[in-house]
Amino acid sequence: MIESLGVPTVVLGLVRPHMETTRPPRGLFVPFPLGRPLGEPEDAAFQTRVLRHALGLLERNDGPVILEDFGEDAPSQTALAGWAPPFVLPMPGEVSAASLRTEMELVIPWWMRAQARFGRTTVGASGIAPQAWPAFFAAFLAGEVPASPVAGLTPALALRFACDDVKALYSEAAQAEGPMPGIRQVDGWFWTATLAGRLLIALRTAGMASSDNAVRTVAGRFFVPAPFLPPAAGH
Amino acid sequence: MARIDDIPQGTRQAVLGLQIASFDTEPFVSGPPLARRRVAVISSAALHPRGSAPFLPGTAEMRMLPATLPAGDIVMSHVSINYDRAGWQRDINTIYPLDRLRELAASGVIGSVAETHYSVMGSTDPATMQATAEQIVGQLQQERSDAVLLSPV
Repeated sequence: MIESLGVPTVVLGLVRPHMETTRPPRGLFVPFPLGRPLGEPEDAAFQTRVLRHALGLLERNDGPVILEDFGEDAPSQTALAGWAPPFVLPMPGEVSAASLRTEMELVIPWWMRAQARFGRTTVGASGIAPQAWPAFFAAFLAGEVPASPVAGLTPALALRFACDDVKALYSEAAQAEGPMPGIRQVDGWFWTATLAGRLLIALRTAGMASSDNAVRTVAGRFFVPAPFLPPAAGH
Repeated sequence: MARIDDIPQGTRQAVLGLQIASFDTEPFVSGPPLARRRVAVISSAALHPRGSAPFLPGTAEMRMLPATLPAGDIVMSHVSINYDRAGWQRDINTIYPLDRLRELAASGVIGSVAETHYSVMGSTDPATMQATAEQIVGQLQQERSDAVLLSPV
């Protein structure tokens, strides 16, 4: 659409069949995990190779359509043997606001270290402070639909973005020290070894039974990624 | 790993089940040598300044990201939960490669980096986004940006 309005474009594509359907003017298929179009975090040389290949297509005049493949995999696509977060959490117990609060007290200092390490945090899409998350989640777990704490967001959307934020906080904390884990290792840890992960799975179940249609929708679709849905969910 | 066989099965079904738009036209615009281009990024990761309202699912809107906006002031509110965030959390350039573009500009590979970049919500129906595309192109032309890197997630 941008190109049809007169500006040259090149797209980094992560799903080749999609590129073959949309047929962008210039596309570079990059064989990286979804969510990593430049391939490798903290590897400027790798990212630059991706960019130079893609931007180089802008100088070609043999289109449309130009579709090329980037020839390298990203190193972190391979799991890092023995990776674990730099802290150990107790075995997750019963899901509750209190138990989440207790776990978060252990995790937040590592989240602070992660912010020092990476120079930023990606937590904050919901606009709800972490201290308010446990009580907010607990209300939905109890079948209630509490008022949204964020002006302009429905309770369902505030909940949806708060779920993103809790995942981000834990994921950043887990990477506060040590070498970079392979793709999916942080997610695997979050969904199988933390109370927060269990709570989001319980929140999905509770939300799908909510009297609020929007809560049912976001709970069913936007809390738990498909690979981590409990078997009882039928997947 | 986004080779189809490498995507986890549940996610793969969701990705391949998406309705992907096809287009009747095949536009193709040429431009000056790369070393004279001003490059802007359009990310479909629903990036926006911290403290601003999140993107809502299905929205056709775009947000402008000034190149001067610090990395720590950018958050993401994409609707999908089916892609990795850990890379983005470690390094914003994994999705939004402004630092790399600045280096390419400094070394003369590209002419310059645009003053403004853009984000939209991926998985929105392109049929609803014509006005948004026109809005983005208006701003691109105003800033004399003549190359766009589309960076999806």
